[in-house]
Amino acid sequence: MQQSSILLLFLFLMGIALIVFIYIFMSSKRADQGMSNPLKKRFWFFLILTIIMGIFASVTIPKSPYFAFADKTPAKVIHVAAMQFSFFLSEKAIDRDKPSGQKIELPANEVIEFRVTSFDVNHGFAIYDKSNRLITQTQAMPGYVNRLRYKFKEPGEYNILCLEYCGVAHQLMRSSFIVK
Amino acid sequence: MESIKLKKITSVWIIAVLTLFVASIVLGILMRLNQGGVLHQAPITFYSNMTIHGITMIGIWFVAGMAGINYLMERYVKTSYTANLIALILTVSGVLMLWAVTLIGKFHTAWTFLYPLPLRVMWAQWATPTFLVAMSILATGWLIWGISMMTQVLKVYSIPQVFAWQHFKKDPAVKTPPFILISMITLVGVVTCLLVAVLLMALYFAEYFSKGNFVNDALLMKNLTYFFGHTIANEMLYLGLAVIYELFSEVGGKPKWKTTWYVALAWNFTLIFILTAFFHHLYMDFVQPEGFQIAGQIASYLASLPAAAVTVFSVWVAVYRVKIKWTLTNLLFFVGVAGWVIGGFGAVIDATISNNIVLHNTQWVPAHFHTYNILGNVLFSLGFFYWFSIQFTDKRVSEKLSRLILSLLIIGGAGFLLAFYIGGADSIPRRFSNYPAEFTTARPLANIGAVFATVYLIPILILFYNISKRCLKILFSSS
Ligand code: HEM
Ligand SMILES: [Cu+2]
Repeated sequence: MQQSSILLLFLFLMGIALIVFIYIFMSSKRADQGMSNPLKKRFWFFLILTIIMGIFASVTIPKSPYFAFADKTPAKVIHVAAMQFSFFLSEKAIDRDKPSGQKIELPANEVIEFRVTSFDVNHGFAIYDKSNRLITQTQAMPGYVNRLRYKFKEPGEYNILCLEYCGVAHQLMRSSFIVK
Repeated sequence: MESIKLKKITSVWIIAVLTLFVASIVLGILMRLNQGGVLHQAPITFYSNMTIHGITMIGIWFVAGMAGINYLMERYVKTSYTANLIALILTVSGVLMLWAVTLIGKFHTAWTFLYPLPLRVMWAQWATPTFLVAMSILATGWLIWGISMMTQVLKVYSIPQVFAWQHFKKDPAVKTPPFILISMITLVGVVTCLLVAVLLMALYFAEYFSKGNFVNDALLMKNLTYFFGHTIANEMLYLGLAVIYELFSEVGGKPKWKTTWYVALAWNFTLIFILTAFFHHLYMDFVQPEGFQIAGQIASYLASLPAAAVTVFSVWVAVYRVKIKWTLTNLLFFVGVAGWVIGGFGAVIDATISNNIVLHNTQWVPAHFHTYNILGNVLFSLGFFYWFSIQFTDKRVSEKLSRLILSLLIIGGAGFLLAFYIGGADSIPRRFSNYPAEFTTARPLANIGAVFATVYLIPILILFYNISKRCLKILFSSS
């Protein structure tokens, strides 16, 4: 799972940083002449950092969500309107003055497009799988429609939580849908 | 040299910051206990506390950095006491108003007050206009202070000199002290983001008074909000770094650091990247132009490169196999740099768009920014506070007590932060007063966080007592 590898990567980097800082701190106890050739070492340190970051950027940027299924035609389009403190999901466009939603069932292994907006303040539209992992999200912003595409592999019930603070019942704002 | 008046006003800043820090930590612990199910606050109380916790913490560590560089700047140029005093008065007024707005008025937009939340009144009627006025007062006071310091520096150094451009050539005639370079680069960013804050407030006022005739654009407002919020939260770290460049070698009994071409280059680059990195707050707004999104990731990466690589490496060179006089001041600096680096890893991971989609607004966010604050920038400023307070006495914190303070800070901080990081990896949302039952780890993690935060609070109280006592003495002494 992506989150676990992220946490591991972080702990690994933290470990390295701790080792280096502790090692350098201890070395000031057995002090002698200081670091030899610091300028040259600094150059290598900088170069290695730049290369690592460059690789990291070029690997991750193409995986950005904006490019996901961009060349596909979605099998289904779901309209989403967020309002303090609930979501409306519908296969038809949602009327601002009389918003209403319906129970949503989606096919597995097909590209789905969510068209997400808000009728009042900013909200989040975050999809959680059966084991409560956050799998994808976008923001619900008044006056704008964010298009989020995703292909659900596992059938089952998926939860939607609001992930942008929107007021006093933000933590209760949720919805769900079924993938068959 | 530093005048008596400057010593006194710096003492006032320090006491005010430490007092508000303790109060805000207590609010933080209460939040964690509520999330853990130990306390049962009404959500509106939780969110009002969260709002004032965030604003206060950003505000106090920003002014702590400003007060620090103002004090040290007097070594190079004459600074304006009046500007410092105006900033103090306006800061105290603004902060008192904000505490009233949140704790009495129950204003609870979170510290990012994302448009149009402040205008959808869900609290006392007076709270929204008072909030906008308070923010404008703070921005004005800080603008006056920042611009005044820049003006004073420019009376002694020319524009190319403050940015150390002459160091790109061999053997420059005039040498720019690193402290001046970093202070100036940071002040430019500070003033820019405060001007944006003023614009933001003007747009809010326009809509508030237009009675529906003028409506703002939500995407533009979000960009402006994060330009201000992200930038000020980052620049305050650099204020702390300016202090480190000035004091780290000095308190260790070593010659001062010098500006070289690569130090100059690194900080000039930082000025640019820091002003575009805020785009990473809008990754999940897919309507934002893609170019900005990609630029956001690249700028976030690059912003960390020069400043971190140059500063961190300089600290390593200063310590590696060098006989140093370790005191509480430089130990706080050293641990702070380590905390800053580790928080930086968490930040760079989150600033990667393909990770952000599963981390955005989870607890990973408070995890990483609390890291470079409670174990980074706060320690930079505490180091300065302590150094400042012992300048005029012979009494020092004993080595044993120093060790205790540092151990508790690190243990308490690390435990508090790990609970957030694990929560983030468990997809637990941030800014939830109570957790839905399906997040089985959320409550235990919150309670663990609360316990460790209390451990962190102990050394803060010790330092609060120790430093404030001396600062009060400075304040009431006649010389
Ligand atoms: C040990 C000390 C601290 C404790 C116990 C603490 C606790 C907390 C908690 C529980 C939250 C809410 C987390 C959530 O979203 O679920 C929070 C948010 C926040 N904290 Fe702290 N914190 C501490 C120190 C700091 C420091 C030093 C800063 C300095 C910048 C800071 C800045 C913030 C900000 C900006 C927020 C976001 C507020 C918002 O969402 O509106 N905190 N803190
Ligand atoms: Cu919400």
